[in-house]
Amino acid sequence: MKTSPQKTRLRTATLVAVLFSLTAPPARAQELPPFRWGTDPTGGAPFNYQDAAGKPTGFEYELAGYLAAKLGRTPVMVAGDWSKLPEQLNKPAGVEKGVDVILNGYELRADLAAKYGVSRAYYAYRVALIVRTDQTVIRDWADLDGQRVGVLGGTVANDYLVRHHPGAKVQTNEDVANVVQLVADKRLAATVQDNPAATHFLKEFPTLKLAGEPVKAGYYVIYFRRADVELGRQLDAAIAAGLRDGTFRRIYAKYGLWNADQDELVGLLDQPWPPADLAAPAEAGNVWRRLLPQLFDAAGVTLMLAFGSFPLAMALGLLVAVGRVYGPRPLRVPLGVYVEVIRGTPLLLQLYAIFYMLPVFAERLIPGAAGYFTPFACGILGLALNYSAYEAENYRAGLLAVPRGQLEAALALGMSPGTAIRRIVVPQAVRLVIPPVTNDFIALFKDTSVCSVILITELTRKYNELYNFNRDLIVELVFLTAGLYLCMSYPLALLAGFLERRYATTGGRS
Amino acid sequence: MIRVTDLVKSHGTTPILRGVGLTVNVGEVTVLVGPSGGGKSTLLRCINGLETIDAGTVTAFGHTLHGTRGQPHPTAALLGLRRAVGMVFQQFHLFPHMSALGNVMAGQVHALGVPKAQAEATARELLARVGLADKANHTPAQLSGGQQQRVAIARTLAVSPRAILFDEPTSALDPVMAREVLAVIRDLAARGQTMVVVTHDMDLAREATVAHKMVAGRIVSSGRPSDVLAE
Ligand SMILES: Nc1ncnc2c1ncn2[C@@H]1O[C@H](COP(=O)(O)OP(=O)(O)O)[C@@H](O)[C@H]1O
Ligand SMILES: [Mg+2]
Repeated sequence: MKTSPQKTRLRTATLVAVLFSLTAPPARAQELPPFRWGTDPTGGAPFNYQDAAGKPTGFEYELAGYLAAKLGRTPVMVAGDWSKLPEQLNKPAGVEKGVDVILNGYELRADLAAKYGVSRAYYAYRVALIVRTDQTVIRDWADLDGQRVGVLGGTVANDYLVRHHPGAKVQTNEDVANVVQLVADKRLAATVQDNPAATHFLKEFPTLKLAGEPVKAGYYVIYFRRADVELGRQLDAAIAAGLRDGTFRRIYAKYGLWNADQDELVGLLDQPWPPADLAAPAEAGNVWRRLLPQLFDAAGVTLMLAFGSFPLAMALGLLVAVGRVYGPRPLRVPLGVYVEVIRGTPLLLQLYAIFYMLPVFAERLIPGAAGYFTPFACGILGLALNYSAYEAENYRAGLLAVPRGQLEAALALGMSPGTAIRRIVVPQAVRLVIPPVTNDFIALFKDTSVCSVILITELTRKYNELYNFNRDLIVELVFLTAGLYLCMSYPLALLAGFLERRYATTGGRS
Repeated sequence: MIRVTDLVKSHGTTPILRGVGLTVNVGEVTVLVGPSGGGKSTLLRCINGLETIDAGTVTAFGHTLHGTRGQPHPTAALLGLRRAVGMVFQQFHLFPHMSALGNVMAGQVHALGVPKAQAEATARELLARVGLADKANHTPAQLSGGQQQRVAIARTLAVSPRAILFDEPTSALDPVMAREVLAVIRDLAARGQTMVVVTHDMDLAREATVAHKMVAGRIVSSGRPSDVLAE
């Protein structure tokens, strides 16, 4: 449920508070504190976005304005990272970036309802399956087995796919616009989206269509602090009034979101809320039986990324280093540029370029080539290229540290310069820089988590996903995830120590 | 036969060799003596193609390097020359990541393409000849200076050069270790090995066939060792 209509988007790791007021505040607003509502503005249309003129708009933006007016308070939008919005309620409203409520396509969920106050439903949503118009493989939900399906990580759509279509290869991303674009570019078979986002994207991408019927999935609700009982009562009254007097219908219709499902919300107003059949949080033992294998699988992905990319980085780095130290000038200069460009730009950007930009060029040159740029292949390539620059510098230092007499002695025996470098200088240089190189390997282990931006679910990404649905288990999850990283990197540190001792006596002296 | 004619070599603008001529006959031991800084090491390095040269020529067993005004020599000429002329350094320069045996095999395997088994047999034979049969599996770091230099000599012998250049082979060693190395060099001389030796060891110098004295980049006297050393 997040999209940014403009292609420029910022990562949402940090909170950015954007303040503006909707209408002239009523007189009473002077006495009451502002109505601070938390949302992720990068989520985009049709929830909360900027129109062509740069003015904030969206059905939730209008909803917040309506609610604030009913409460006699001034609406203040507080921006945050979508997956972390509920945590905003753990701090007081008055602090910097504090909020009174969160209102951003958050569904009614047992785990959140157990922790926070929950309002009446303001929207009944479905999850929709989106595919390209020119394909015939996926006609309905039942055809998802073995297909690569992109979703926004940690959403109901994510959970729905995992539970109901275990055969699908689910690939999660933090940015919906990326996922939809990848489907349009034939790099993902399908995506599952909430119907408001789906409605928006079908308008924006004429090459996409729905497959099968959207499935009823749940309700959007507003969360607030449990202690704010009076606020909850006021919100419920405002939602009930809006549903009954047609205000909501008018707002939703404007964005093409009104449908028969919403009529049922009025009927629900007379039922107890939250509904009694809202699934109780699963019992702990069961949860871990479900979570642990997922964490271990993700740790496996982290291992494969690290062990797949680092040997490549070492090999490439060594070639670059040899070229820089012994190559002719026309080779040394471009290699130096290569190292500086790669070291001087963020890994994140490099991964974006490899995964989102390179395939576009490749496809233009060789139709069908884009299919080879799978997330995993791009992750390995990105990590290998990035670390090759650092290894090149390590090896260059190593090559320069081998005494010149070594090369001369080899040449004097009649070896060709290439053989002398390969057989005599390189083996010594490699041994000399074992400590910094293993150090980099351990660092790369942790950098594999950056690959989550190109739809790879490695350990950190998986932690985030699991945390979204198991917020009570944060302590366990954090320690478990950290423990897994340690279990993988500590043996490396031991190996590094062993190699150092093993080769200390045969280092490049004399 | 090695023939050096009108060899000129400078580092930057500093002249190091100012027109050196020298002939080394097969089967002879030639010694180079003279004060430190006179250019003896540089001359050996030029003969082995480890230095570029400004002018003059170096010819060794049919391979010729021409003065190139400091430009690199052609690789083919260098390879041919170095397979004919070996070199033993003052600081040994053994390969620290290989055993003594590996060092003696390295040139055979990586320069001459000798099969490993054959190279190992030759290497063991040569280690025995320099008195180090029992040190084959030691790394250079586990050997004394004298032992390292003897391995270095065996390593050079293993590629069967027609002539061997020694640059102060005993200067980095104490007298006891130097004696072990000198014994090996005398043994080579007795076998008719063509050698050019830079040395400060007067006893060794006196045993040579010819001696040349170098001062400030020139050969100032040549002849019978006893005559040259007497000056
Ligand atoms: N790489 C170099 N750069 C500049 N000067 C050098 C270099 N190598 C040697 N020299 C100089 O050349 C001169 C001759 O050195 P060298 O051949 O080592 O003399 P010797 O072996 O007779 O002591 C010395 O003055 C030395 O400082
Ligand atoms: Mg010298």
